[in-house]
Amino acid sequence: MRIARIHGRQRSFAPLAPVLLALALALWQTAPAWSADADLPAVATSPAALSAPTAPAAPATTSASPAPGATGATPAPASAPAGADAATPADPTAPAADGSTRALDEQIQDIKQQVVDLNKDLFVLEEELLFPANTQVAVFISMDVGEFFGLDSVTLKIDNKEVSNYLYTPREVAALAKGGVQRLYVGNLRAGAHELVALFGGKGPNERDYRRGASIKFEKGVGAKYLELKISDRARKAQPEFEIRDWE
Amino acid sequence: MIRRFGRISLLLALLAALQPAALADAQPGSAAPDFALPAASGGNVRLSEYRGDVVLLAFWSSRCARCVTQLTALDDLQTTYRSAGLVTLAVSVDDDLTRATRFAKSHPARFPLLLDRRKGVSRAYGIERLPTTVLIDRRGRVHSIQPDFRGIDNSYVAQLRALLDDPL
Repeated sequence: MRIARIHGRQRSFAPLAPVLLALALALWQTAPAWSADADLPAVATSPAALSAPTAPAAPATTSASPAPGATGATPAPASAPAGADAATPADPTAPAADGSTRALDEQIQDIKQQVVDLNKDLFVLEEELLFPANTQVAVFISMDVGEFFGLDSVTLKIDNKEVSNYLYTPREVAALAKGGVQRLYVGNLRAGAHELVALFGGKGPNERDYRRGASIKFEKGVGAKYLELKISDRARKAQPEFEIRDWE
Repeated sequence: MIRRFGRISLLLALLAALQPAALADAQPGSAAPDFALPAASGGNVRLSEYRGDVVLLAFWSSRCARCVTQLTALDDLQTTYRSAGLVTLAVSVDDDLTRATRFAKSHPARFPLLLDRRKGVSRAYGIERLPTTVLIDRRGRVHSIQPDFRGIDNSYVAQLRALLDDPL
């Protein structure tokens, strides 16, 4: 039934075909007039530029740039005097070229800014897709130590499964000592009870190998869960202290 | 049903595209997989901290006879081009860390000897033969991988100098 109707439509258009063809021919014949009104460089459209040979046009652009001296005198290149007379019809090309260059430059800057914005949006989208707030858990580390502990590595285990093993370089340790906070791990957990165990390795007092652990049981709810590992000096005992805090 | 399947497929494709770039096989032109390894002399070394320098990664093993020759040659190279921004990192693929550490102490070099006990870095760079060297440019991209390194010839030095001449 549907096919028959389609054929019916096609048959009804048949008498109009010659009319449409005539219309198309009329449009095609009037097209050159429209392109003359378009915003094109003068060289492409002006009859003088079309009839003039191309060679004089080139020195015309070079003589156009030092505009006050555009009489073909000494500052211009050797070919400029011969082409100086042809400078007049080609002069409009220089501002047009500058204008198009400026527009192109603006377009490039716009595209660059769009790329930067898009990159930022993609990063946010990636975070939201991979680690949605209802399952996200993030672990941060901060340090307030001086002489009792030199951090070397941190291993994280959530529900007895190793999720992160990070080695620290001297630069990173210095950044933490200056007050930096590092996002050590971000992942997804279902709602419910979980346990985080952190193992800290490094150099303790008297430059001896030092390995300590800390653990916390936490409840993962609907929102994102943030935990902080904090390393600090305990001057009274001359030992470092490791604790895990829950950012409520 | 078809629409739902299409939406799910699109979402899966989007998720796959957005997966963070984990350690992958390094290829010339690709970003060099970042890593952090302990050094035999102590401390940890991270590759990305050398962004801006030309990095020569040399994979070796204490069981590899030609690796000793390689390390000696690289030591000379490092001495020559250190001031121009060349950083050499030697990555050991030994299973026995004690053996690797003993080897490092008996063959002191002017660059860190790193211990890749878990072989994660070797896998990331697709190391199948020893000795192998990897050249990384100042932008952190793999420039070339030379398996079965047989010594430093003029073409290798020319490659290295071209990278060092790159002002970034």
